[in-house]
Amino acid sequence: MKRKLPLAICFFMGISMMIQFFIPHPTSLNFGSMIYKWIIVLMAFALVLAIGNLIRHHGFKIQKGKEDWPYSIVTLTSMVAMAIIGLAWGIDPDSLYQSIYLNIMAPLGGTMFALLAYYMASAAYRAFRARSLEATLLLISAFVVMIGFMPFGQYIHPRFPAFAEWIMKVPNMASQRGILLGVAFGSIATALKIILGIERSWLGGKE
Amino acid sequence: MKWYDRITMIDRRVIYLLLTVFVIIPFFIKVTIPQKIMPQTRRLFDFIESIPPNDKVVMISFDYSPQTQPECHPMAKALLKHCFARGIPIVGLSFEPEAPGLAVDALVSVVQEIDSLATNREDSLVYGIDYVYLGWKSGRIAAQLDMGEAISGVFPRDYFGNLIDSLPLMQATKNYKNVAIVIILASADYPIDWIRYPQTRYGIKVGAGLTAVMAPQYYPFVQTGQVSGLMSGMKGAAEYEKLVLDHGYARTLGSAETGMNSQSMIHILIIVFIILGNVGYFFSRRQKGTHK
Repeated sequence: MKRKLPLAICFFMGISMMIQFFIPHPTSLNFGSMIYKWIIVLMAFALVLAIGNLIRHHGFKIQKGKEDWPYSIVTLTSMVAMAIIGLAWGIDPDSLYQSIYLNIMAPLGGTMFALLAYYMASAAYRAFRARSLEATLLLISAFVVMIGFMPFGQYIHPRFPAFAEWIMKVPNMASQRGILLGVAFGSIATALKIILGIERSWLGGKE
Repeated sequence: MKWYDRITMIDRRVIYLLLTVFVIIPFFIKVTIPQKIMPQTRRLFDFIESIPPNDKVVMISFDYSPQTQPECHPMAKALLKHCFARGIPIVGLSFEPEAPGLAVDALVSVVQEIDSLATNREDSLVYGIDYVYLGWKSGRIAAQLDMGEAISGVFPRDYFGNLIDSLPLMQATKNYKNVAIVIILASADYPIDWIRYPQTRYGIKVGAGLTAVMAPQYYPFVQTGQVSGLMSGMKGAAEYEKLVLDHGYARTLGSAETGMNSQSMIHILIIVFIILGNVGYFFSRRQKGTHK
């Protein structure tokens, strides 16, 4: 029963959600709408779990004095402070919450991401070598796309932008389409296996 | 040490220093290089041009975080300027938890800019009539599908806590039948869900503004027409800014133009470094071959 009931619920929900996608009858639409609202609520509960997990993880680190524990204090303090500020003084465009977000959070996020440019430039210089035919092809196509997409690429050679566009629209698109189709077929197969009870690892246990 | 060995071993601090200088230069020396507009950017612009004023809304899903703000924020601002200038109402929403702060910032800054130039009340923009921001919602696929039946079912209140049924714009915007296009400005794989679910089921038009890293994944969808137009990275943002300026919907270019110049400078620097590295590698390999 412990295994059969979840499998039966999974089968019923999987089939009914599939059917309502193809039959736009008011009953099936209402059923779908109700389930979507359940999903939204369930996902919101996942957030509560995440917050609980974050508090537990960092609380444990502080309690045990583990490596870099002061950062855990910063994390927890920031989370609590932002929540209190948002709840107490609102989230309007001219609120303290928005001001902190735009003047602390946004520049910090931007800075972290901007550091990537430095690592990428250094890594490209050291690792991007024409060691084989494949690496050379990659190097040439990267050059063409980079130069072609720069505003003055057209002044280096008038056909550069068109060639860069061709690389994106033909070889790139062909490979992307292949990946997309592979993922789609894989998703359908996995979904069917779960709905039909062939794939049962989501139930947990050994079987 | 031979010259070719030396050019393969440039200290990384030199690279970092040059990179910093190359990023900063365009902020002090303003150079406007004419942009060649990519077809997918023009398609998005033309689509917005084809929407009649005060008819259907344009839904913008702000799904980018501060990390990708330099690429996506100029897209948002250019798009908002275009829509507002053409009298097209905007409904904003987010499925990325970090995005609401940036969405509010983009909306407020564009609205303030337009309002500062308004000569009468009709020229100014009013929240609830010309634009609404619904805020963030969890469970995005379910939310996107359910909005096809009733937007108020998913977002009973907007970001600022107003009941959305009390807002005139939302009284006229019940579901996707009242939405001309949904444009997803994202730094992650968000548009694919809009294509797979609401578009398949409700036939809603989808446009996108994506970071340069993400954009190549969406070329197949642009070709099939599932994506009605695409802004690709900072270049796409700069192109859209130029189109908006050229058509008289804005008085100045946005920040993507300067950003594009910095990005181009870095690309040149990276290309030069890669060439140096490969020249050094080629000569040192040839040297080793001769010694053997």
